Amino acid sequence: MNRIELYFHTDYDVGISRADYATAAYILTDCCRKIPSYSALTRHLANLYDAGLSSVTVHGNWNNRCTAIRGRILDNRYALDGENLEAEMCGLIADCLLDPLTENGVFAKDVTELMKTELIDTIDSAVNDKSTYAILNANKTVYVGEALELPASGTHEQAEKVTPESAYAAYRKMLETARIEIFAAGCSEFSDAERILTENLKKIPRGNICKLSAKHSPLKPQTAYVSDRLPMKQAIVRMAFKAPELTDWCAASMLTVILGGMTTSRFFENIREKQSLCYYCSSVFNRHRCVLTAYAGVEPKNIERVQKAILAELDGIRENGVTDEEITAALLDLDNQFSTMSDSADSLIVFYHGQLTDEKILNIEEYRERYHAVTSERIREAARLFSLDTVYTLSGEEE
Amino acid sequence: MEKIYSDIIKETCLKYTSESGVTVFMLPMKGYSAATAQFSVRFGSQDNRFSVNGGEFMDIPDGTAHYLEHKLFESEEKDAFALFAQTGAFCNAGTSFDYTQYYFSCADNFTKNMEILLDFVQDPYFTPENVEKERGIIGQEITMYRDNPGWRVFTNLLEGLYSVNPVRNDIAGSVESIAQITDKTLYDCYNAYYNPSNMFLCVAGNFDPDEVVRICGERLKKRPLLSVKSAPFDEPAAVNKKRMISEMTVAKPIFEIGFKHPAVDGIKETENYICYNILFDIMFGGVSDFFRRMREIGALNEEFSVGVFSGRGHLFPFARGESPDPDHVLEEIQKEIARFKKNPPSREDFNCIKRSTYGALIRDFNSADAVASTLSEAALADTAPFATIDTAAAVTYEKMLEKLDELDGENSCISIIKGIKGENQ
Repeated sequence: MNRIELYFHTDYDVGISRADYATAAYILTDCCRKIPSYSALTRHLANLYDAGLSSVTVHGNWNNRCTAIRGRILDNRYALDGENLEAEMCGLIADCLLDPLTENGVFAKDVTELMKTELIDTIDSAVNDKSTYAILNANKTVYVGEALELPASGTHEQAEKVTPESAYAAYRKMLETARIEIFAAGCSEFSDAERILTENLKKIPRGNICKLSAKHSPLKPQTAYVSDRLPMKQAIVRMAFKAPELTDWCAASMLTVILGGMTTSRFFENIREKQSLCYYCSSVFNRHRCVLTAYAGVEPKNIERVQKAILAELDGIRENGVTDEEITAALLDLDNQFSTMSDSADSLIVFYHGQLTDEKILNIEEYRERYHAVTSERIREAARLFSLDTVYTLSGEEE
Repeated sequence: MEKIYSDIIKETCLKYTSESGVTVFMLPMKGYSAATAQFSVRFGSQDNRFSVNGGEFMDIPDGTAHYLEHKLFESEEKDAFALFAQTGAFCNAGTSFDYTQYYFSCADNFTKNMEILLDFVQDPYFTPENVEKERGIIGQEITMYRDNPGWRVFTNLLEGLYSVNPVRNDIAGSVESIAQITDKTLYDCYNAYYNPSNMFLCVAGNFDPDEVVRICGERLKKRPLLSVKSAPFDEPAAVNKKRMISEMTVAKPIFEIGFKHPAVDGIKETENYICYNILFDIMFGGVSDFFRRMREIGALNEEFSVGVFSGRGHLFPFARGESPDPDHVLEEIQKEIARFKKNPPSREDFNCIKRSTYGALIRDFNSADAVASTLSEAALADTAPFATIDTAAAVTYEKMLEKLDELDGENSCISIIKGIKGENQ
């Protein structure tokens, strides 16, 4: 299977809303002038052996927006009638991206209204999944005043105001000013993809290109505590730790794995297994913003207990570092992820996309070597740089 | 050693029965780094009443299979997670309605990982203390799922479709049912179901089959083969309830509609699975006039999907999504089924969706994990390893029309989760 994905990095500008960009992305993969309806496009993809074409608008790693147009297609060797599936997919991407369905110089009204409605549905339905809801609401405090404070797709109110004109303006601005990155991964040489996409993209007038730069999230002077309520049985706890001065992100990544990123992590062994406090208690690290988040699902009566337990585990590492066994286990875990990465086109794209602004793009082996150089002392130093920025809890209504 | 070649994906699967009685499937994949091994037991949440070698039937609390899965990782020495941590493999387990599966995925130390997997699954260690310790963890897992509207709408549908089929019970049980589980319950179930005759090992990816045969010879224990039988049940043909409704916090009502169908086993089930998938995609999927129409009037959105849910003793086609008026969606679906019965889908539509189904199944052979899962599903269903893709390649327009004839649009249940306090009624 092959993946061909185009990433458009744009600034969060004023004037054109996040919802305009998100609606534009939806429109681009719903239909195009040549294939002017969703059902016709779905039929076309079905005839290409269940090919996939989708779009998504998310926060980029560098305080920008990232709109991805993603194509998925079987390798040519599986085509029953000798079709060039790669060329078909790239042609389709070019048609959708450069020749959308328009009326009077802007997006067609019907499709815009439909996509706007679906965007509103998507924004509203975040409440259905309590974990997603907790992340979005925690972000309002964790990233207050930053681009990540609001969802990348915008708000319900913004979406209500989308028009064919405003969405089309977002689309043109994306085409003309985005930093565009193209990723192709799978079992092809991708010479057709390179040729077709290069030929098509060079037709776009370009200028004032978005610049990507990493920006660490600032630490609040005092820890913020936020509690939200929804009718639900289990409480969700999210604790954001920030280290704006951190440079050693490899050590911080190892710290995250040892704290709550594997089945022998401190959270798993001490909070889940020994204290039976929760089913999950994990940690995740955003290296571009230097934010380490610990999160757990617990009985409401145990909210404080789990918060203290999480802090105690981090304190333990700040004071005493980690053991050689923990470093070995974390490296083995990471090695396994690196070694199996080449089997997955998706993983390879994520791996290289994450390095866009690094001084040097590393291959998997070079990346692995960086982790192997991390010591217990470096992990302890990284742990000491993190401070508690935000504690967010989502729990049921008070009785 | 039996060699089974697929002309479609150009791969060979090796199959043999080990001396212990465990059936082993292997599919080495050139050019891949990872290997995945899945050790499966035909014991899931629906197996809540059983007999061994024709003896008396014994009842067990709901959620026992899942509880056992959690506890099997523990041992008197180091638990399985700690042992896998020494090799770097990713390991986990899962319990379904009709099976339990333990697995690892690795790039290195394949031999060691195989040994750990086979050893811990064959070496239970249940004590009153360690069983008690797990109750809080599983209780939280149950609560987490209860807060999930997507899971609730599905389990409510099973309850609505089936009157006695134990698939209607939640996989993890309830806080009340797991309170009854003891170390003895777990040993009773382990000794009955975790018998070599009821277990399957499937390996795919980057590994040497001779090495698997050697390890199995050394590590799989020879135990007397037992005949374990889950209690039969007499499920009525008609649905238990036509409509199930619950309230939770959701932005817009979500729904799932199931069309009750008699269950069959083996290759017949595979045929039904493929035919109904194609049929429902044609009638209600992205290519259909139905979906275009319903989307345009705001009755459905892109969250809508159709498919087939199947397993041992159950199979039904379903439609799920979110809508301001799920009952109206059901009415329209039933009208559409009636219309297609009078004016069947075109051959062109059939060929288009058949091609798409073929592509989706080819994609399942794209990773060691996915291939191992395909082999496990076939082993558990007692079909050939490439049965699904072979059936999809051979399915005919006429076969699909037979299923359309069998489909009873009125014998359905709709499960709805609507907003609390009348938010979305």
